[in-house]
Amino acid sequence: MRLKRAAAAGGALALLAVMGACSENKGTGGGNDTDRVQSGSIATDPKESMGPAAEVPGATKGGTFRVIRETKISHLDPQRVYSFAGLMNAPLYARFLTTFKDDGSGKVTLVGDLAETPGTDVNKDCKAWEFKIKDGVKFEDGSPITSKEIAYGIARSFDPDLTGGPTYLQEWLADSPQYDAKWDFKKNKASLPPGLTTPDAKTLKFEFAKPHCDLPFAASLPYTAPLKADKDTGVNLDNLPFSSGPYKVTKNTAGVELVLERNENWDPKTDPVRHAYPDKIVWGFGPDAEAGANRVIADNGDDQSALAWNGVPSALIAKVTSDQALKPRSVQGQTPSLWRLTINTSRVTDLSVRQALNYAIDRDGFIKVYGGEATAKAVTTLLPPSTIGYEKYEAYPAGATGDVDKAKQLLAGKTPELVLGVGDDYPEYGTQLKGNLEKAGFKVTLKSIPADAKLDEVGKKSNPWDIYLDQWAADWPSGAAVLPVLFDGRTIKAENNSNTSYVNNDDINKEFDRVLALPAADQAKEWAKLDQRVMKELAPAVPLFVEQGYYLHGSKVGGIYLSSIFGYPALTSAYVKQ
Amino acid sequence: MSLSPVEGAARAEIAPAADTVTPGERAFVGRSPGQLAWSRLRRDRTAVVSAVVLLVLMVLALAAPLISKLYGIGPNEQFQTLLDGNGMPLGYVGGITGDHWFGLEPRLGRDIFIRMVYGMRTSLFIAFAAALVTTTIGVVAGILAGFLGGVVDAVISWITDVALALPFLIFALAVVPTAALRFYGPRDEVPAAFQVLILIVVFAAFGWTSTARLVRGQVISLREREFVEAARASGAGLGHMLFRQLLPNLWAPILVAFSLAVPQYITGEAALSFLGIGILEPTADFGRMIFQSIPYLQTDPAYVFFPGVTIFLLVLAFNLLGDALRDALDPKSSR
Repeated sequence: MRLKRAAAAGGALALLAVMGACSENKGTGGGNDTDRVQSGSIATDPKESMGPAAEVPGATKGGTFRVIRETKISHLDPQRVYSFAGLMNAPLYARFLTTFKDDGSGKVTLVGDLAETPGTDVNKDCKAWEFKIKDGVKFEDGSPITSKEIAYGIARSFDPDLTGGPTYLQEWLADSPQYDAKWDFKKNKASLPPGLTTPDAKTLKFEFAKPHCDLPFAASLPYTAPLKADKDTGVNLDNLPFSSGPYKVTKNTAGVELVLERNENWDPKTDPVRHAYPDKIVWGFGPDAEAGANRVIADNGDDQSALAWNGVPSALIAKVTSDQALKPRSVQGQTPSLWRLTINTSRVTDLSVRQALNYAIDRDGFIKVYGGEATAKAVTTLLPPSTIGYEKYEAYPAGATGDVDKAKQLLAGKTPELVLGVGDDYPEYGTQLKGNLEKAGFKVTLKSIPADAKLDEVGKKSNPWDIYLDQWAADWPSGAAVLPVLFDGRTIKAENNSNTSYVNNDDINKEFDRVLALPAADQAKEWAKLDQRVMKELAPAVPLFVEQGYYLHGSKVGGIYLSSIFGYPALTSAYVKQ
Repeated sequence: MSLSPVEGAARAEIAPAADTVTPGERAFVGRSPGQLAWSRLRRDRTAVVSAVVLLVLMVLALAAPLISKLYGIGPNEQFQTLLDGNGMPLGYVGGITGDHWFGLEPRLGRDIFIRMVYGMRTSLFIAFAAALVTTTIGVVAGILAGFLGGVVDAVISWITDVALALPFLIFALAVVPTAALRFYGPRDEVPAAFQVLILIVVFAAFGWTSTARLVRGQVISLREREFVEAARASGAGLGHMLFRQLLPNLWAPILVAFSLAVPQYITGEAALSFLGIGILEPTADFGRMIFQSIPYLQTDPAYVFFPGVTIFLLVLAFNLLGDALRDALDPKSSR
């Protein structure tokens, strides 16, 4: 009898649990409709590059701000930082030659950080650039930062032992992708790489063999952080960087905790972007995306002043969007990370098949599989909307869920057999695409690729797949960091290709050269035009969506916005409510 | 005179069985051990209920294509229009409607009921096939080792020890993905049947050891018994000794081992799917379905509930039936 009663109670409980979610889902959109319109400029007035940064309304000083993240940050050494977490963390303890003034609204201005202005194009040919260093900028030990230390920082990025960082400056200075063979840092520690000079303590000069109009942008990455030669601990700098920013690393337990405390020698008057409101910033590593989000939702104790770095996982989005109480604690917005279904044009040589793919695509369905409208926004362009000068257009108007009839018409009765390579971490992406494309008459074979090897495998020129998913996020919001990188056929090599569509069209390549030689400010419109041309003439990929960031923070946190450049939470304006 | 243990067990059971016979017609009814076990099993309510549950689930699994036809929905059909913008099913309790009895999967929008039926088919087929293969290998290896002794025993026992010492999961992680690469080109789809076969082979390579040890132990204790001596004295050959004299006395433990192996393989197959080396998308599979549903515990509990409850029922029914079978075949073992 007792057993029966227990069973009945258990059954009732289980039923209740299911019915608990019994309210009708009428499909209220949790999407983020605001299309952040990006407008960007390069500051010409040196006043814009001067501090202090404009106060964030309601911000208060003090307290400990926490960030919860699953894994440790791969690198702290500014010359090696390149992961998104690293890029957002680095401004806390390092200053760069230039930086973006950004408040998350989409209006970004490139300003000088250590430099007085974002660079002077000496001969107006983009080959010689000059930077004047600000007065009053100091390291954590109080010693002044001069052009010598910045040049030393750039020089040490040539060291092949210091892997992981971006390589634009090195390649441009050495005028070769094998920059470390051209100039050996270890043998020439006392000198500087070719083309880099410091005429005096306040001046830094770059001289390139080829024009590089993007230099002011490229100089905003952390590898331009200064370092004193006697503080260079080589690979160990990764554990304890030497600070030039508002905080210094005081404790770093790999994979557990990273503690940043106020650097008293940082002068806010020299800094146009950093606020440094909290006394202490603590990264705690370990909890996965779900645990992190649940902790912040619960909002207990220290978690009240925490940000869940891994965002809202797709399984929790429905719960978070429906909870109005979480609204003021959530940060949503567009990222520059654009997903596309790349078509391997060396295999799919028929343009009409590639165009048919563009018509057949059910972006809405794919976004549902990816995680829903709160995490992705459909695009039809190769440039992400966060690019400066972005113009929206549809080369192949397919509607939200695809135009199957139009695709069939283009295929004219053919049933092209396509092999879709899909990472084995998310096989359901392949399932959805197969179902979607087969409706339009394609025959799709799914082939799973080990997720950790996918990037390498797809980057091989002779890879065996016809279509595969790719994503690209540019390092600065210019078309120059997207289109020539992804679609210039002259860069195709045997392995490690970014041009995974393997398109090589002479007319388009010439256009790339022409636009790249224009001054940075004039390029924006040209890139938008070229984007349309590539899509219409080559159809090298099916643009799918741009990722949307969706983050939660505790009730005592303020000042978090999504960086317009990288689409991740910016930490430089964060504050803890007192 | 000595009796074989099976006959001994049978006689011991005659007395209580006779109690139920009314005094008027007190006559001995001759019943074989098998009949006795069957009557005991039938009297066990747990066993009957588990058997019925299993039967229903097995029929469902076997008739999957037929059910799909009647139900009107295929296992790979996507109903993404019935999902909201977040990819969650519209309507009540995970999208339950007259068309979709158990609702829809979030994100892909496939029908949960039909995918469960197909998933059950995959899981049950793998589990039964693997249990059958491992039991056969185990029985043959165990009976040979136990009866022949000497060098044969030493070699078989040595192989058993090696197989036991090999870490199963690491072996599976290493073998399963490479096997597909070995047989299929970079542009060929790996058929589901091949994935199933590989899983059965992997289970067979490791699962036979426990049965082999069990049978070997039983045979060692049996081979010194008088009825075996008698058969040997009468000049019986090896085959007769093994399969006529010894095997009939081993059916009870073998059956129990088999019935307990099946649920073990169901969960084992689910575990491998957790690690992404079992049956791959888009083939329906129980283990992967549950693995994919767990993150939705908070937002779409129905998705977790139906597959979870079904695999729970399946494994519980098998285990209870196995226990009941053991009790019925060997009444001395419990209570």
